[in-house]
Amino acid sequence: MIRVADLVKRFGATTAVDHISFEVERGEVVGFLGPNGAGKTTTIRVLTCYHPATSGTAEVAGHDVFADPVAVRSQIGYLPENVPIYPDMRVVEYLTYRAALKGVQRRQRKAAVGAAMERCGVTEVRRKLIGHVSRGYRQRVGLADALVARPPILILDEPTSGLDPNQRRRMKTLIRELADEHTVLFSSHILAEVGDVSSRIMIITNGTLLADGTIDELLEQAPGRALVVTARATPGDFRRLRDGLEIAAPTLGEADAAGWCTARFELSAGQDPRDEIARRLREHGNDLRELKLELPTLETYFQYVTEQAEAPEVVAS
Amino acid sequence: MSRIWTTIQRELMSYLFSPVGYVIAVLLYLFRGIEVSSIVKGMSFLGGDVDQFASMYVLQRSSLIMIVLVPPILTMRCFAEERRSGSIEVLLTAPVRYWEVVVGKWAAAFLFFCILLLPTLAILWLLAGDSYLSAGVPFSPVFAGYVGLALVGALVLSVGVFTSSLTDNVLLASLSAMLFSWGLISGPALALPHVGPWTLEYPFVETLLIQTNVVDHLSSWFARGLIDSGKCAFYVVGTIVFLFLTTISLEARRWK
Repeated sequence: MIRVADLVKRFGATTAVDHISFEVERGEVVGFLGPNGAGKTTTIRVLTCYHPATSGTAEVAGHDVFADPVAVRSQIGYLPENVPIYPDMRVVEYLTYRAALKGVQRRQRKAAVGAAMERCGVTEVRRKLIGHVSRGYRQRVGLADALVARPPILILDEPTSGLDPNQRRRMKTLIRELADEHTVLFSSHILAEVGDVSSRIMIITNGTLLADGTIDELLEQAPGRALVVTARATPGDFRRLRDGLEIAAPTLGEADAAGWCTARFELSAGQDPRDEIARRLREHGNDLRELKLELPTLETYFQYVTEQAEAPEVVAS
Repeated sequence: MSRIWTTIQRELMSYLFSPVGYVIAVLLYLFRGIEVSSIVKGMSFLGGDVDQFASMYVLQRSSLIMIVLVPPILTMRCFAEERRSGSIEVLLTAPVRYWEVVVGKWAAAFLFFCILLLPTLAILWLLAGDSYLSAGVPFSPVFAGYVGLALVGALVLSVGVFTSSLTDNVLLASLSAMLFSWGLISGPALALPHVGPWTLEYPFVETLLIQTNVVDHLSSWFARGLIDSGKCAFYVVGTIVFLFLTTISLEARRWK
């Protein structure tokens, strides 16, 4: 649905987006992750035809963003960051106006606006002026606007920024529900949020795409994997466990009175020696209480790739 | 076409629900009422040529306010406010063409300008009564004069839309449009008497000044009931040029 190839966007001497390429297929929910000022909004603005690219191409639903912007925009529901919408209009008036502007037929307009308001939970404030509703509602009005013409693609720029935890949870649930009918590309700088909602993640920093893959794929590559073993074994037993395996020496805890001792093996990306370690412990006659694979969090992965970005190496799946 | 109409409706609503329009209307009608009453008094007590009534009625100070000050105030928010609040991003990422937004906003401002202007004709209807001017006042030139005012208004509104697209400062947008309209109205009229032998070498200077002499267009043509296609074309083409420039300015903003 979205195809970006070698996209570059410069503002004067500043390169906001530097040769990024990615694709988003129909039905995917892709989280666009990066610190503030990484180039997320700029990339999104190129896709919504708000800014033209300096070089490279971007296609949305088969239409080129430069050659056919109106066709592209008719395929997109866009929620910009900070949701700048007219404060002097009532919610229902605004959505009706937007539906008309987006070409929803007059006869279907009322139903379309009603459905979008229902979906985003703004029906109770429909008669209120947008300037008088809370930030959370304004965000949802913005989302209702993005949905009103039922576009196949939704592009949401920081949809949860400025919301309180409850509103944020509701917004996340809503985005997950939307995934049934729409292809969703949404940006955020809150890691946990992206992990909760999206099926795929792209990480961008300083205008460069550092990672692109499903959460599991990305975490496979991340450091911080460890195997924690609690067994009735001596330090020597523990050290012998890694014979023939490419694992660093474990960090050992103190053995308790009953002889249980915990060892922590740092693993490299993709390693999972649980079966082998369990088998060896059994063979040596050591009792095993716990064998746990600790996976890195998205946060450690994010830290890892952004630090890696200091070096020119690019991590991609 | 439907997108232009949608834009017109939304902008017109915004004018109708904003207090600015009503403040302008009150001041304008008050001012015009006082002016008209003084013309009528002058004519009834001192006598006067009723044929002159039309041009006097059209070319009042309030008419000048209407074409110099009011259009920039109406159009100053068009794009400047959208840029300041950021709502321009929402507007321009909808499936609309830029020129449709520009024409829609201008047309709404023009309609509201006409809504403000037309009620002043009601005074004329009151004057037709026997208790005021007991003479056959020719009304047609007044209507032609109003066509002239509307055309000048259309041009100045398009300039206002243009200046509004250049900045996110509404004050700057309105002041620069006022400067333009004031220049357009007083410039040629002030410069023409100074046209001397030096212009023989550059005859286009005089032609240009005559072609752009708005006050003369209004007083010698429209207010006398003469709707000249050449004069109309000047305003229509001027309006189209500035609307085109506005579209270009919006396009250019994307490239920054």
